[in-house]
Amino acid sequence: MKHCLIVDDSRVVRTVAGRIIKDLSFEVSEAGDGSEALRKCRERMPDAILLDWNMPVMNGLDFVRALRREDGGQNPVVVFCTNENDAEHIGEAMRSGANEYIMKPFDAEIVESKFAEVGLV
Amino acid sequence: MQDTTFETLADLALKQSGQAFHPNKRYLMEARLATISRRESFATLDDLAHCLKSRPNPRFEAEVAAALTGKLTRFFGDRDLFDRIVTHVLPERLKLSKTGRLRIWCAGVSTGQEVYSLIMRLGEEVGSAITKADLEIIGTDISADCIETATVGSYGHFDVQKGLSVHRLMLGLDRNDTGDWQVKEALRQQATFKVHNLLEPADALGLFDVIICRNVLSAMAEPMQKQAADNLARQLLPGGLIFTAPGEKLSLGDGLVASRTYRGALERVSDKNKVAAA
Repeated sequence: MKHCLIVDDSRVVRTVAGRIIKDLSFEVSEAGDGSEALRKCRERMPDAILLDWNMPVMNGLDFVRALRREDGGQNPVVVFCTNENDAEHIGEAMRSGANEYIMKPFDAEIVESKFAEVGLV
Repeated sequence: MQDTTFETLADLALKQSGQAFHPNKRYLMEARLATISRRESFATLDDLAHCLKSRPNPRFEAEVAAALTGKLTRFFGDRDLFDRIVTHVLPERLKLSKTGRLRIWCAGVSTGQEVYSLIMRLGEEVGSAITKADLEIIGTDISADCIETATVGSYGHFDVQKGLSVHRLMLGLDRNDTGDWQVKEALRQQATFKVHNLLEPADALGLFDVIICRNVLSAMAEPMQKQAADNLARQLLPGGLIFTAPGEKLSLGDGLVASRTYRGALERVSDKNKVAAA
């Protein structure tokens, strides 16, 4: 079973996204910010990461940049999931190593469609 | 909804668009007519049906029938199909073409995502002969509202995130102030949209190399399905193909047969074959 790490400072978003991603037959774990996510990735590198942008301690953009420098950090498929929805933010995320980009609000169909775009489902 | 209301609306749909409504699909009627009903200040669909019956008005009838058709569509609804058409079907058609001209018709295109998907997919071909072809892509739908949306090419937050990769979204659409996304002008210029009822002859649209007609015919009652399929078949160039959606159960007239070359495609029975069969 593939493993997806959900990184978002909102517990509600983590729960909602977690349900959707479990339905896509993923094992799911959670982190509340980028630095916690990075710790979890060092313990066990996930197959996919659903990543919020604005979070305390370490934001999503800094996280993905750091992740891509880690050992094995090129492997996870990183899908941003954020309120930032303008071309500049999207471009910056993609240049920093993200694979796909979801603009909040999202639903199950969007997550499934985006995961399909990057070959996760 | 009263039984007579269902009968009035089902009868109207059948006559105008060929669409078959099963009595257990009343909720679908309610949902699809909600906007029109509200706009015309009818308290219920019973009132709307009563008005249709007591004051016949061809324009309103056509509008109600158009609203009753299915509008569900999405970008790259059938990714494999678009790939096959762009990488195989069109290059083969181009080889046979003397003029370098290729014409594609998306029939029953609803709000136009299929047309723009095809245009975006074609734009991704690099070095293929197809990039030099003189392509004409036409989308038609029975609903004037849908064709208006398609022409403007403006789609909502949820629409643009289903079927479109963020890469295609950024390349093909711009976000406007309202939060909707509009297909870029350069892509919109490559598309033509027209209101057209598939039960009517389509001679005015001309002849086509490829006709894409997904999930439209299968919503029609059998005799209308044949009529619409025959109308499509008449607009095929020799060797031209019709693509429907996978798994669509169709009862077609004798004008169309399954293509031997392209899985899932239909082609017109040539007059030669007809003679041979007779």
